[in-house]
Amino acid sequence: MKLRLSPQTLLVLDSLLSEPREWKYGYDISRTTGLKSGTLYPILMRLADRELLETRWETPDPGKPPRHMYRFTPEGLRFARINAPARAAGSSRRVALGLEQA
Amino acid sequence: MGVPRKLAAAMLKAALRLAPPITREWASAMLRELDFIPGDWAALLWALGSAAAIARHAGRGCVNLFKSSRSDQEKLMNPTGKRAIGFASGAISALALALIAFGLLFLTDFLFPQLGIARKEWTHLLGAIVIPEAIFIVAAVALWRRRKPVAMGILLTAAAIGLHVVIHVAAH
Repeated sequence: MKLRLSPQTLLVLDSLLSEPREWKYGYDISRTTGLKSGTLYPILMRLADRELLETRWETPDPGKPPRHMYRFTPEGLRFARINAPARAAGSSRRVALGLEQA
Repeated sequence: MGVPRKLAAAMLKAALRLAPPITREWASAMLRELDFIPGDWAALLWALGSAAAIARHAGRGCVNLFKSSRSDQEKLMNPTGKRAIGFASGAISALALALIAFGLLFLTDFLFPQLGIARKEWTHLLGAIVIPEAIFIVAAVALWRRRKPVAMGILLTAAAIGLHVVIHVAAH
């Protein structure tokens, strides 16, 4: 599977992997990862294009517009778990650089 | 609702209207999230980032569509047809660039008459001849190995324009 695992992509994978069967909103992922919409959505789009991410529209409550939600497909979950070592290495690099607390 | 949030919503609605169908669902998703962002300025930043993401996604989709349709057409063509198309596209691109350069000169003269560009011969030579010809040569050298017919089309147009200028100068 050809997907560039940038530090930002790894952050998104981490965020989704924290509760892999739960649907998440774009803004919630943005808050947990600290990524801006201009960075986050292209990553979500790429993951969805490669069928690693499934998307759906929330069933709307009356008077509230529906929101778009995301979670891993079974293949996406496997992919995220396989790439856990890369995330761990990235995390230890961030700790070493002082960008993240150990 | 503050002005920045109104601006953010208007920007994303415009992006949604302009987006091609493949991007529309994502644009709509970004627009919906806007209602849940606390703070007007944060909403505006969200909209700016989202608009950039929509533009990139739409652009990539168009490029992929163009590439796939071109490769489908190329498969059906014989080598002579491919060369002719390459040559024509090189010549047309070069001619378009030369016309744009010439048009920009006239536009600059129209917008800023105090500069007196129309009366200065060197601005015409530089803007409409020297710079475009330099671009043609660089482009032809860069394309020579990968797309020789395109490079030849560019070079031939560059030569024709150069010849036209020589004749024009000699006649006047």
